[in-house]
Amino acid sequence: MNLWQARLVNQAIRLRLARRKLAPEARGNLMALEGKDGKAPAMDQRYVVVDLETTGLDHTKDRVVSVGAFRVVGGRIRLGEVFSELANPGRGIPVESIKVHGITPDNIRNARPAWEVFREFLLYLGGDIVVAHHARFDLFFLNRVMRAQYGMRMQNLVVDTVLMCRAIHIEPDPYGQKKGAKRCSLDVLAARYGLEVPERHTALGDALATAMILQRLLPDMAAGGWKTLADLISVAGVL
Amino acid sequence: MGEFPLPRIKDFLKTVVPFDALEDEELERVVGLMELAYFPRGQVIIQAGESPSKNLYVIMNGSVRVTLPRETGEELLVDVRGEGDTFGSLSLLQGELALFTVQAQEDLLSFMLPDAPFRELVEGNPVFRRHFSFGLSRNIEAVRRAADRHTMQMTGTESLGLDAALTGSRVSELMSKEVLTCLPATPVKAAARLMTQRRVGSIIITEPGGAPLGILTDTDLRVRVLAAGASAETSVAEVMSPFVKTIAPNAFAFEAMIEMARHGVHHLAVVDGPRLVGVISDHDLTMVTGSSPVGVMKEVSKVSKLEDLAAMPRRMKRVMETLLRLGGSAEYMQDVLGEFNDRLILRLLKITQRTMEHQGKGRAPVQFSWLALGGAGRREQALTMSQDYAVVYANVPPEREAAVRSWFLEFTTGISQGLEACGFFCRPGAVMTDPHACCRSESQWEEAFMAWVSSAEPEALTQVMGYFDLRAVYAETAFVETLWEKLFAAFDQHRGFLGRLGLAASQLRPPVGFLREFVVDTEGQYSDELNLDEAALDPVVQAARIMALDQRLRQTNTLERLGAVTRLGLLKEDFSEDLREAYGFVTLLRIARILENNNGHRPSALLDPASLNRVQRKMLKESFSVISRLQDFALQRYSGESGA
Repeated sequence: MNLWQARLVNQAIRLRLARRKLAPEARGNLMALEGKDGKAPAMDQRYVVVDLETTGLDHTKDRVVSVGAFRVVGGRIRLGEVFSELANPGRGIPVESIKVHGITPDNIRNARPAWEVFREFLLYLGGDIVVAHHARFDLFFLNRVMRAQYGMRMQNLVVDTVLMCRAIHIEPDPYGQKKGAKRCSLDVLAARYGLEVPERHTALGDALATAMILQRLLPDMAAGGWKTLADLISVAGVL
Repeated sequence: MGEFPLPRIKDFLKTVVPFDALEDEELERVVGLMELAYFPRGQVIIQAGESPSKNLYVIMNGSVRVTLPRETGEELLVDVRGEGDTFGSLSLLQGELALFTVQAQEDLLSFMLPDAPFRELVEGNPVFRRHFSFGLSRNIEAVRRAADRHTMQMTGTESLGLDAALTGSRVSELMSKEVLTCLPATPVKAAARLMTQRRVGSIIITEPGGAPLGILTDTDLRVRVLAAGASAETSVAEVMSPFVKTIAPNAFAFEAMIEMARHGVHHLAVVDGPRLVGVISDHDLTMVTGSSPVGVMKEVSKVSKLEDLAAMPRRMKRVMETLLRLGGSAEYMQDVLGEFNDRLILRLLKITQRTMEHQGKGRAPVQFSWLALGGAGRREQALTMSQDYAVVYANVPPEREAAVRSWFLEFTTGISQGLEACGFFCRPGAVMTDPHACCRSESQWEEAFMAWVSSAEPEALTQVMGYFDLRAVYAETAFVETLWEKLFAAFDQHRGFLGRLGLAASQLRPPVGFLREFVVDTEGQYSDELNLDEAALDPVVQAARIMALDQRLRQTNTLERLGAVTRLGLLKEDFSEDLREAYGFVTLLRIARILENNNGHRPSALLDPASLNRVQRKMLKESFSVISRLQDFALQRYSGESGA
């Protein structure tokens, strides 16, 4: 994928929704690509590193229970601009997932519904580039709420740290054997970079781990020749 | 949102001084103002000479090197900071160009607190204010250590602080602005006349254009002209001390101090561009910092009243603080202190004798010598000042013994009181605790020594080992020399003595290392305090003593003993050098700690391991291991002899 494609898709959606009455957060989201300069250094961009905890891994029926995010600007994680919310999935939480993220039905009883949390998140996100580990997973859930709520996909650029990792650390895999897949898991990367990840397997903890990994991957990418935003999107962008 | 979202980060900062002093809510607010940054290894974070730091950095993980760029292009390593340490505060608070370069030594994760909120904290919070104004002195302390010859010596003198005058002052405020100048071709005679007329101690030699070339001082005149027999027509250029360094008027006073210490000069020309604007001397600096060793030393020899004498040790402590900052080696500082203590004792002997005379008790009935034992005998008391002294008077016929002895008993009691007034304490185990035991005739002393050599058990020897470090501070008799000869002869006769001494010495073992805030000893026991004397210094002292006695050496100072046995081939050169460094490092640490702990009566060499930074711990741990090796060596060599 590249920035040009993203712009094209964005233009099309804007045309399609031009007449429709949109909530301000959605109107804002349509502008997410404004001012993005493909030639600017990837390091200098504004990113929002996000992680979702869900009721399970089946995206046909599972729901979001928690959203955690950190903003990274110029390679620095802003500890004061944290997004951390529980969402009420409107259904039971399977025991297996409780074991992973530790969020119990009691915890979310008073939480707001996912769409409300998501509206909040969109306002927090602005036009920043979304970063996630295995971004397609998180993107799927985000877009499902987005479509249901506003009738459009999320317009922000999305970057996957797994793809960044593969580009740098894994030899090309033309036959799709995925031999190196495990070498880009969050735990392996955290260990590789010697990161002690606080609160792993909470949305915020994993988002922080991913943000810290992004901090390392950006200079590594630059060293490997992928210096600009366009370079980054071409390697690790997700649509 | 309810709960604070970043509890682990908050917990981490709670372990960081001075953030640990903040209330929970305030700390949460501060965390929210921070950013977390990553710097790959090798990246320069702050560049010396560039604009001041915009952030306070708190290291979460990794380490940085703090260096001072030199004109020669090389870098002087000033400090290494690790997890929980901060940097960037100095240039931030001073608003001056950064003084040091800070570079990531390993991959670094660091919290960054921006300029404005950091200033607010420093202004609004006394703990922050105190911590970060001491931060400056820590930096200077670090420079001092780095300037030391071989290794960085980490002495941990955080709370020692630096005189406010010195930290805040700039060279321009302290320098002499009225500078007497002359051209290089001026004859010495003319220069001397000018100096006399203007009543100054130095004259600056400049190029016709005004650029400073060198300085001619009273001392130069004396040493290089008069004493060397040079003609009065010699040009000043031939005898001046050339300026190796100049300094800018807006430099910090401490920078001037560092430059002088490093280049071993007493004056620096202060130049603004090419123009000479003043001269700064070490005297100008000591005027604001306190005193110079030479000055105090001279003065102590002139004192005639006990009250005045009692005031001297406090001044000596100030000197020590200055020396510590200026980068005095442990050896040098101990020399200075040893000499000072000796001079103080000599004065005290004079004063006490005179007092007794005034009281009608007469002069000393027979000749005597004043002995220093233990730490005093080794000239290693540093600032602990224990009453480890004794008197030995000439043998007298039995009928006079009682009268003579009673005079000397009174004399030693008087001295003991005088020492007490000067801050020398009769701590448990000090020689002078019992006036009867420290006041004996030559034959009585000899008898006691011979009994120890011939038959004392290791247990008993631990109490009297220090007596074998004896030295005469004041000698009317040749007792000490004769005693050494007799002792050496007795060693030959009683081969088991050194073995027993070895066993006595083996009771103290250095700890193996540190675990978090604890020190761990050889048995795996944890302790939250570390006695530098017992843990590190005494084992070296004891091993050096045994080896020196074995080689029939009369030196008493530990470093001298080690040097001597190394020259005799008993220790390998490089091991001996390691030992010297380990001993020097611990000694400096001890002096620094005593200066810090010394609020009142009992100066102590006790150290809280939690107060040590990583580098200090590492150095200490290495020192322990070197010392253990020495102990093993001595034990192996001497404990076997006990059976013989």
